[in-house]
Amino acid sequence: MRYLIRRLGFFVLTLWAAMTLNFFIPRMMPGSPEQALRERFSKGGSVVTPEQLRTVLAEFGFDPGKNLMLQYLEYLKSMVTGHWGVSIGSSLGAPVTSLIGSALPWTLGLVGIATVLAFVLGTLIGTVAGWRRGGLIDGIVPPVFIVTSALPYFWVALLLISLFAIGSNPILPNDFNYDQGLTPGFSGEFIWSVVKHGILPASTILVTAVGGWILTMRNNMVTTLAEDYVRMARAKGIPGRKIMFGYAGRNAFLPNLSGFAMSLGFVISGTILVEYVFNYPGLGYMFYNATVSTDYPLLQALFLLVTLAVLICVLLCDFAVFLLDPRARTKG
Amino acid sequence: MRGSITRIAVAAIAVGALTAACGGGDKPIGSASSSNPSSSTSTGGGGGTGEHKQGGTVTIANVGGQTWPCQFNPFNPAVNQEANGFVYEPLTFVNVLKAGATTPMLATDFTWSPKKDSIVFTIRDGVKWSDGQPFTADDVVYTFTRMKEQPALDLYSLWTGAGLTSVTAAGNKVTLKFKAAAEPYFFNFAGQVGIVPKHIWSTGEAASKPATWTDPKPVGTGPFTVESCTSNNITYVANPSYWQPGKPYVQKVQYPAYLDNNPANLDLASGKAQWGGQYIPNIDNFYKAKSPENNYWFPPTANVAIVPNNDPSRPATSKLAVRQAIAYALDREQISKIGESGYQPAANQSGVVSPTFDKYYDKDAVAAAGYDKQNLDKAKQLLQTAGYSDSNKLKLSIITVTGYTDWDASLAVVKQQLAKAGIDLTIQDLQQQSYNQKLFTGDYDLAYASQSGGPTPYYELRQLLYSKNSAPIGKQASSNYSRYMKPEVDKLFDQYASADPDTQVKLIKQISSYMIKDVPVIPTTESVDWYQYNTKDLDGWPTQDNPYAQPAPYNIPDVGQVLTNLYSKSAQK
Repeated sequence: MRYLIRRLGFFVLTLWAAMTLNFFIPRMMPGSPEQALRERFSKGGSVVTPEQLRTVLAEFGFDPGKNLMLQYLEYLKSMVTGHWGVSIGSSLGAPVTSLIGSALPWTLGLVGIATVLAFVLGTLIGTVAGWRRGGLIDGIVPPVFIVTSALPYFWVALLLISLFAIGSNPILPNDFNYDQGLTPGFSGEFIWSVVKHGILPASTILVTAVGGWILTMRNNMVTTLAEDYVRMARAKGIPGRKIMFGYAGRNAFLPNLSGFAMSLGFVISGTILVEYVFNYPGLGYMFYNATVSTDYPLLQALFLLVTLAVLICVLLCDFAVFLLDPRARTKG
Repeated sequence: MRGSITRIAVAAIAVGALTAACGGGDKPIGSASSSNPSSSTSTGGGGGTGEHKQGGTVTIANVGGQTWPCQFNPFNPAVNQEANGFVYEPLTFVNVLKAGATTPMLATDFTWSPKKDSIVFTIRDGVKWSDGQPFTADDVVYTFTRMKEQPALDLYSLWTGAGLTSVTAAGNKVTLKFKAAAEPYFFNFAGQVGIVPKHIWSTGEAASKPATWTDPKPVGTGPFTVESCTSNNITYVANPSYWQPGKPYVQKVQYPAYLDNNPANLDLASGKAQWGGQYIPNIDNFYKAKSPENNYWFPPTANVAIVPNNDPSRPATSKLAVRQAIAYALDREQISKIGESGYQPAANQSGVVSPTFDKYYDKDAVAAAGYDKQNLDKAKQLLQTAGYSDSNKLKLSIITVTGYTDWDASLAVVKQQLAKAGIDLTIQDLQQQSYNQKLFTGDYDLAYASQSGGPTPYYELRQLLYSKNSAPIGKQASSNYSRYMKPEVDKLFDQYASADPDTQVKLIKQISSYMIKDVPVIPTTESVDWYQYNTKDLDGWPTQDNPYAQPAPYNIPDVGQVLTNLYSKSAQK
């Protein structure tokens, strides 16, 4: 039990430290919301004085002259209470919660499913490859995916676009999360459109992410298979499948699980480049945009989400290890 | 990838202009004060009214770099590009591409007082808001008065900067009074302020918090209304009771939110979107060659320039000889050809964009000073007089924005050219925010930068050279980043406001003579309005021969002019 309490304490402390950093780091970046807005605003060719922009921003709740400690305390309060304010960047005036609300499902759906799929596939392939070390699967699959996992995201994305989405009658769409002409709803047409628009970006993530899982799982398997208890199991005549999953797999899986918890956490920040290339309006892109336009309220809320997601996943992983690994229990 | 999105910002920084040959009947901005209602004949393109059948859809591919927040408040600078021109209209349309020629919109006419410190607008009869209520002079007064009460709405600083003192209505006449001659602000108050309905804006949240109100279902006088908006796409439909009979011809506008150039470029090339406003690298191969119906036109606009820090605290760049040496060492044609693939033409030292503003361009003065061609010997000689030699080389650094790939290419050419004259140039690629910080506060030797223009060269030159736009080093300047302070030049700018058109031309020439004499800024190329259009189904586009509005869809309210003139060819059958 002490193990769990210690973990929980660690969780709270890390959360506070991360939130404090989240507050100060954007404010130490060069530039300010006013400058970013000025840059954007000059697009239309209109000449707006810096003073006027400050007036506008003040109207939206941004006061650069305010005491930093006071701002910090207010920030902590607003983060905890969920009053995340309005964007002061490119979506000036839009409530942060509704901005995130519109992007979150897409990222969770696309990156989330792709990440889980990559993990499950990679772990399974790695288990089999490690079990049949030197076999046909082990000889071909891991090397291929190790190569693909080293390819840059955006390069794979562009390759897929040029294979499937170019031409006057492309097989798959190259941008957006659904057909712009459709109204979102639970119609077959809309769902099909969402799926179709998700295939290329999801494949990009899958192709580049699966290799890592295969490699670690395979190598863990190989080490685990050399353990005495596996030999013992074989000597006892336990069926191969049971040894593969129940004996070796279960133990080889633990390091992968921690990695998975981390990667789940980063689903929230999305795969920025993938969303960028496919014009997929998820959180990753929003993150990028918020940084560029020094949108403090949006950045803070996004940072909070990422921090929370990573920490919660790590915490859950700790619990899972607690369940899976008897050693964790006895030590506690 | 990152580059291309910031790239569009640069592309868009300018308001464009190209009128090598503009037709007759143009009146320079606010010059002709006529009480003759016949001035309501359109100087815009597309011709008369109702000459085409209605129907068809246009899809705009213009990278905003964000999903749509579905707000249409015309006073919110971050979103008014989606509202002005589409839904909200100005009193008068001012065409930057025709030296500020005006087209009556919500006002059928205007008359300046002789001193140009007050102006009377005649408000158009028979205009209805899209909810059916009549539009009146009261709405105009309300719009301007709210800006006084709520300074955050006054985006063009009309009350605080332009000296607006009162706005009153009498019948269908609205009078705006100013402290001093205000003609240069006509572009802003008559051409850019979208008029809002009093009956909507004087109640509820619109009344209590007009600056932050989201205005999700905007009611305007414009050619379109918002049918639906999601974070992905805005659908506009034609306003059935639009005051220009028969218009708009196109019945629907789709405006998807593009986050990055690549998908937008692909959609433009395939014809999925018909109207673009962005930089497409290698456009002939990537876009033009894909279909004979794909067209582009890049009207040259303001200047892209090397901005030297004129402040005395910078020992090298504050020396006239050094600035002159740099200007002489440049071969601008080469910079245009290599750095900008020729999309942006070469600029000239007078700071007047040619051929757009040829009327104001003193070509002979540029040639007489020797700035019309590269002169390395003169550059070297000037450097010697400034105390530099091979043993004591002049080393300078120039700041630019990382990701602006064409600027990088241009600067690589500049570096080579300056090296030949004996100047060692270091290029500092900075992230946008750091770049802005340094540029605004004057923390640099040289900066590569561009400004926005306006209907005459006055607008850009004033930004570049007017001392009130500058600030001491360390403080943020609003536009005169070179810290050029010259009372004589300020005086010329001050005279412009009340001068007659001919004198204005003379004043611009005098001002640009200081560009040549003092070299406060060194223009290299001319920035352009990026514009792609597909003629498969749609016609009525602005073209080089008929530049009835700035063609890129990010220009407001020009976007409304284009949308009212577009028509679908298939709908004509």
